[in-house]
Amino acid sequence: MAGTLDGLRVLDLSWGIAGSLGVLLLAEQGADVIKVEPPGGDPFRDYSGFAVWNRSRRSVTVDLKHPDGLDAFLKLADDADVLVETFRPGVTDRLGIGFDAVHARNERLVYASCPAYPDGHRLAQRPGYDALVQASSGQQWEQPGWRMGPTFLHVPLPSMAAMFLVPTGILAALVAREETGRGQHVRTSLFQGAQLFTTQIWTYVEHSRPDFYGTMVKAYPPGVHQEMIYEVAGDEWVHTSIMSGLTPIKSQDELVGVPEATDPSRFPLLSAEERAALLPKRRAGYKQRPREELIEEFRENNHAVEAIISMEENLGSTGRPHPQLVANDMIATVEDPEFGTTTQVGVPLHFGTSTTGIKGPRPKAGQHNAEIFGALGYSADQIAKFAGAAR
Amino acid sequence: MKALEGVVLIDFGQYLAGPFAPMIMGDLGADVIKVEPVTGDGMRMVNQPFMGCSRGKRDIGLNLKHELGKEIALKLVAKADIVHHNMTKGVANRLGIGYDACKAVNADVVYCNTYAYGRVGPQSHFGGLDPLFQAAAGLEYEAGPVEAGNKPLYLRFGMTDTANAMLSVVGCLSALYHQRRTGEGQELWTSLLDGAVMLASDAMLADGTPVARPKLDGDQCGIDALYRLYRTQDGWIQIAAVEERHWTGLCAALGLTELADDARFATRAARAEHRQQLESLLAPALAAKTSIVTSRVLDSFGVPNEVPRDMNAGEAVLFDADNVRLGLVAEYEHPIMGVMRQFGNLIQFSETPGHIRGPAPLVGEHTREILDWLGYGESEMEDLKGDGVVYWPDENYGWTV
Repeated sequence: MAGTLDGLRVLDLSWGIAGSLGVLLLAEQGADVIKVEPPGGDPFRDYSGFAVWNRSRRSVTVDLKHPDGLDAFLKLADDADVLVETFRPGVTDRLGIGFDAVHARNERLVYASCPAYPDGHRLAQRPGYDALVQASSGQQWEQPGWRMGPTFLHVPLPSMAAMFLVPTGILAALVAREETGRGQHVRTSLFQGAQLFTTQIWTYVEHSRPDFYGTMVKAYPPGVHQEMIYEVAGDEWVHTSIMSGLTPIKSQDELVGVPEATDPSRFPLLSAEERAALLPKRRAGYKQRPREELIEEFRENNHAVEAIISMEENLGSTGRPHPQLVANDMIATVEDPEFGTTTQVGVPLHFGTSTTGIKGPRPKAGQHNAEIFGALGYSADQIAKFAGAAR
Repeated sequence: MKALEGVVLIDFGQYLAGPFAPMIMGDLGADVIKVEPVTGDGMRMVNQPFMGCSRGKRDIGLNLKHELGKEIALKLVAKADIVHHNMTKGVANRLGIGYDACKAVNADVVYCNTYAYGRVGPQSHFGGLDPLFQAAAGLEYEAGPVEAGNKPLYLRFGMTDTANAMLSVVGCLSALYHQRRTGEGQELWTSLLDGAVMLASDAMLADGTPVARPKLDGDQCGIDALYRLYRTQDGWIQIAAVEERHWTGLCAALGLTELADDARFATRAARAEHRQQLESLLAPALAAKTSIVTSRVLDSFGVPNEVPRDMNAGEAVLFDADNVRLGLVAEYEHPIMGVMRQFGNLIQFSETPGHIRGPAPLVGEHTREILDWLGYGESEMEDLKGDGVVYWPDENYGWTV
C-alpha cells in the first residue's frame, strides 16, 4: 500500500518547531522530504525535540550565499512540489530564494512561509522565538497560574498550533493545484497559531447576554476544569471529566465516599456556596484512594479519568506505557544516530487504505549531500565547495 | 477561486473537536453543511465555544433517528466530498451513517471520525473532554509544574480539542488530494489523545530512560535563565537570549559585562547548570527599570525580548489595526448578537484567498434551501417539519445563539 503523499517532493528550510513538525506530518504520509540546512547544520540541532521533529527526511547542507550553492538549491527547487521556510519576512528575497524568484522557475511549486509574525505587520521584524510570541500575542497573560501576572507556557503553544497550519495551507494549495496546475504562496505565522487556540475564549460580541462568556471567563484558579483535578494517595493526581459519553453506573462521588453529593454532571451548575461546601469532602475522599485503583474503578463505572503524570511516563519510562497510546500505535521505537534506541511519539493520522509510517531517524546534517547533489550532476569536489563539511 | 472551491463537506459533529475542523475547511472555501440535531448541538449551551467552531456553515436541523431523517442525511452524503464527525465509537453505525453506509451511496467519499481516545483499545468506547488529554499528554504535569511541588495546572485554551480537529483537517485534505489524483476515497480517524501528545512530542526516552528536556520553574516564569519572564519595576518582560551574541548583548545591556567572562556562565550548558545563580544575578538588574525602558535597551543591544501583553479577553487583538488590515480579524453580524469579531484568516493564499462567510448559523437556518437543493418541494418540507424530522427557526426559536 502507499501513502497519500507518495511522490510529493518537499524542501524543508525550516528551523525550530512549527516548520519541522508541520513537515513531519507530510513526511510520514509519504512525502519525500529533503531538509536543507546551512553548512554546519540547523542551529537548533542540540535542542530538545529536534530528534523527533526532524525524523523521516533526508538532509543536505548548502551555503545559499555561495553562488554555486544558490544554483544547486534552485535546481533542487525546480523539481520540488513544496518548499517550507520559517525565516523572518524579507530574508528569502535577500538570499535570492524568495517566492517570486522560485515560482518564476517552477510555477507548480507550493511555497509555504511560517515566520513568527505576518509580513506587513508592525511586529514582522521583531525576533520570533516561541515564548516571545506567547508574550506578544497575549497568551501568557491569558493563562492564570499560581500568582498574578503572565504565566510562561511550558508547551510552546504558538508553534504547536502553527505546526497544523503549515500542512493545512500546503495541502489546500495542492488540492487547488489539481484544478489550476499552479502552485502559490501560502503564508501563516506563529502569531496566527496563537489565534488558533483562542477560539473558545476570545470573541467580541456587540449584544452579549450576561452569561455569553460564562464558564469561559478567565478566573483564578482557572475555571471549572481545574476544579476537577484531584490529589489522590501518595502525592499523586488525577483529572476527572464532567462527561464520558457513557451512562455512569455509580456516581463519581459515591466512588470516593461522598454519597450525599449530587450528580457530577450537574456540578458546574451548582451555586458557589454549594460547590464550596462539597469540594472539601470530595477532596478528602480522593486523597484516601491509591491512583491506579481509583482509575480502574472509575472506568468500570463509565467515568472518564486520567492520571496526571509526565509524557515520559505515558511513553513507558516506568514500564507502563499508556495503553491507549499503545493501541493507537502512538509509541514508536526509533534508532537514533546519537541517542541509540529511542521511544518517541508515533504517527497521529490513521487511514483506512493509505499507509503512514516513520521513514527513519533524523538525519545528520548533510548526510545525503552526495546522494542528492550527485543526482543533479555535481561532483564531490563541487559539493564540498558549497556544502561545507559534514557534521 | 478559493482553495477548496467546490468541495462539499457534510459535518455531523457536535461540541468542538468535530465541528472545528469543518469550520477551518470552510474558511478555505469548502461548502460546509452542518447537520444539527433538531434539539440543537450540545455545545450551544456554552455560547462562546459554539460560536468559535461553526462560523460560515450552512445548517440543516435534522432528526437522524427518524427514518426520513436518515434518508435526507444519505442524500447529503451522496453529494459530499468529505463527511466529518466526532461521534463516539459505534454511534455513527447505529445511526446508519457509518463509513460503509456512506460509501454505499458515495463510493469515493473521504470519511473522517475524530475520536476522544481512538478507534480500538481499552478506552476507545469513552468520549471525553479536553482536560483528560491535557492530563494524558503530561501538559498539566509540566504546567504546574508538579515536580516543583505545585499542583497540576489546566491550560484554559482547550487546545487538545483544537489539535485533534486540526489533525483531522490535515488528514482530510491529504485524503482529498489523494482522491483527486487516484479517484479513491477512504476513511480516516484521529483522536484527542493523539492530538494532545503531539503537543508534547519533544518528550523522548533513550533505552527506556527520559532524555532531559527543559523544566518550568515553580514560579512559572520560564525554562532557562535566558528564556523566561522576569519582573520589572512595573510589570514583566520575556527574554529569549538564545544565541551566544544575545547572551553577551544581555550582559552589556544590563551593565553586567563581568558575567560574560564568568566561567560559571561560559557556555549554554554551563549557564543551564548554574541557572539559579544566573537568575539571581539578572533579576535585580531587570527589576530596576520599567518594562518599556528595559525592552528598548535590550532591543538596542540585539537581545530578543517582548513585554507580555494583556489583550483584555481578546479585544486588543480583535481591534488591532494591523491585525484588521492583514485579514487576521473576521467581523460578521449575528441575527441575535449583532456585530461579532473572531480571529480571521489563519493562512493567507496568494492565488486562492480565504473566505469567511459569516457567523455560526442558527439551528436549521438553511434547512429549506438545503432541502430545496436535494429536490424536496414546499409541502414536503412542511410535512417533514410537522413530523419533527427537520427544523428551521420560527417564532418559538429557543436557543440563545
